[in-house]
Amino acid sequence: MASSQTTSKPIGRTLVFGALTAAFYTGFFAYGDAIAAQFAQGSFWAAGPIATVFAVSYLHGEFASNLWATLGISAIHKETRKTAEATKRPAQRPVLNA
Amino acid sequence: MDILSLDPTKFIDLNAMAITFLFLVGFIGGLVSGFIGSGGAFVLTPGMMSLGVPGTVAVASNMCHKFPKALVGAIKRYRYGQVDVKMGLIMAASAGIGVQVGIKIQQIILAMWGQAGSDLYVSLSFVFVLVFVGGYVMKDAIKCARCGGEEETTALAKHLQKIELWPMIDFPRSGLRISLWFTLPVGFATGILAATIAVGGFVGVPGMIYVMGVPGLMASATELVIAFAMGLGGSINWALHGMVDIRLVLIILGGSLLGVQLGAIGTTYVRPHMIKMVMATIMLIVAVSRGLALPTYLVKLGLMELPDSTLGLLKNVSFASMCLALLVGSVIILGSMWNGRKAQAGAAS
Repeated sequence: MASSQTTSKPIGRTLVFGALTAAFYTGFFAYGDAIAAQFAQGSFWAAGPIATVFAVSYLHGEFASNLWATLGISAIHKETRKTAEATKRPAQRPVLNA
Repeated sequence: MDILSLDPTKFIDLNAMAITFLFLVGFIGGLVSGFIGSGGAFVLTPGMMSLGVPGTVAVASNMCHKFPKALVGAIKRYRYGQVDVKMGLIMAASAGIGVQVGIKIQQIILAMWGQAGSDLYVSLSFVFVLVFVGGYVMKDAIKCARCGGEEETTALAKHLQKIELWPMIDFPRSGLRISLWFTLPVGFATGILAATIAVGGFVGVPGMIYVMGVPGLMASATELVIAFAMGLGGSINWALHGMVDIRLVLIILGGSLLGVQLGAIGTTYVRPHMIKMVMATIMLIVAVSRGLALPTYLVKLGLMELPDSTLGLLKNVSFASMCLALLVGSVIILGSMWNGRKAQAGAAS
């Protein structure tokens, strides 16, 4: 039986993460060209783009998740598929009854 | 920090149109990825190049957006019980080897036949894999739709699961037990294809479904784990060479992190065969798109002659049909989500 989540809409979290994401993007693009040039220096500067996208994954990911929930678009929780324990088969080799 | 100036041979000037284009394509690519486990990359790389971004920067920046998108999508679908992390990590290991082999093959072809030869190889790979695999997936999707949407494990998968070849691995999440030796070629093929056409999932997802017997919903979700691992490794490599344009990455991520979560939510609204239907539709349209690009490379290699105007037309139609593939996929996804919601609301009232 399918039923949708009946949690209240996370408007507060949406606004908080939306503001943080907007601040991050605004701050980044204010110096976007310089930062991009710096990160493209290679070598240990490789940590720059990697760390930046992980940060954006968290901030913007949380914002996006809460935004869809606030707009009323959330998953339908069907019966979760039963995860069958894989059966161990008996040994194929003949057993010597000495 | 020292203000460095951007190297104009690597980094384009950003204008409103470029930003809007990248954001929208990012969103639609994310939507498709969240739903079928892969996709978007094959439009983004040529899309960036059409804005003037050099090929290597386009590939590197695309990869740097792919792994965070896959991470967010995988976390979302994990919460819905759809991700088999164990399977994803085991396959990611052999996929990593496949990527290295794929890159090596590309380098050999580039050395022997130049850029046109390399582009021809990539396009032929697209056409061959997408027509063959896409056709098979479409046939199965139609069959599943006619049987009321219930999936059946293939005879091949059932047979392979019965073969006791050490080491046998339990995948309780997916409800199957299979020899490691049968997971290796699927992962390896995923890696090779990812290195060749940037979308390993077009062989990874069908491989998990038809060779290993993983249900479609779980295969498409688990693919996101493989995409994350391959993407992270590749991105670190590209970033070490200073090839990532972080500005493009952030714009694309702006759209794709919204899209990927919507696509993930969408998988809970639809019957399992829809994932196969969307995947196959996109694959077949992209096959046509890449097929239209083949004459350009044949002409460059001197194997064919065509007027420039015809080549120009083919190039534009090829790019347009690639965008169409994503659009059609997203329309199907959003349409079936809409129907799913209506059905759910109808059942509740």
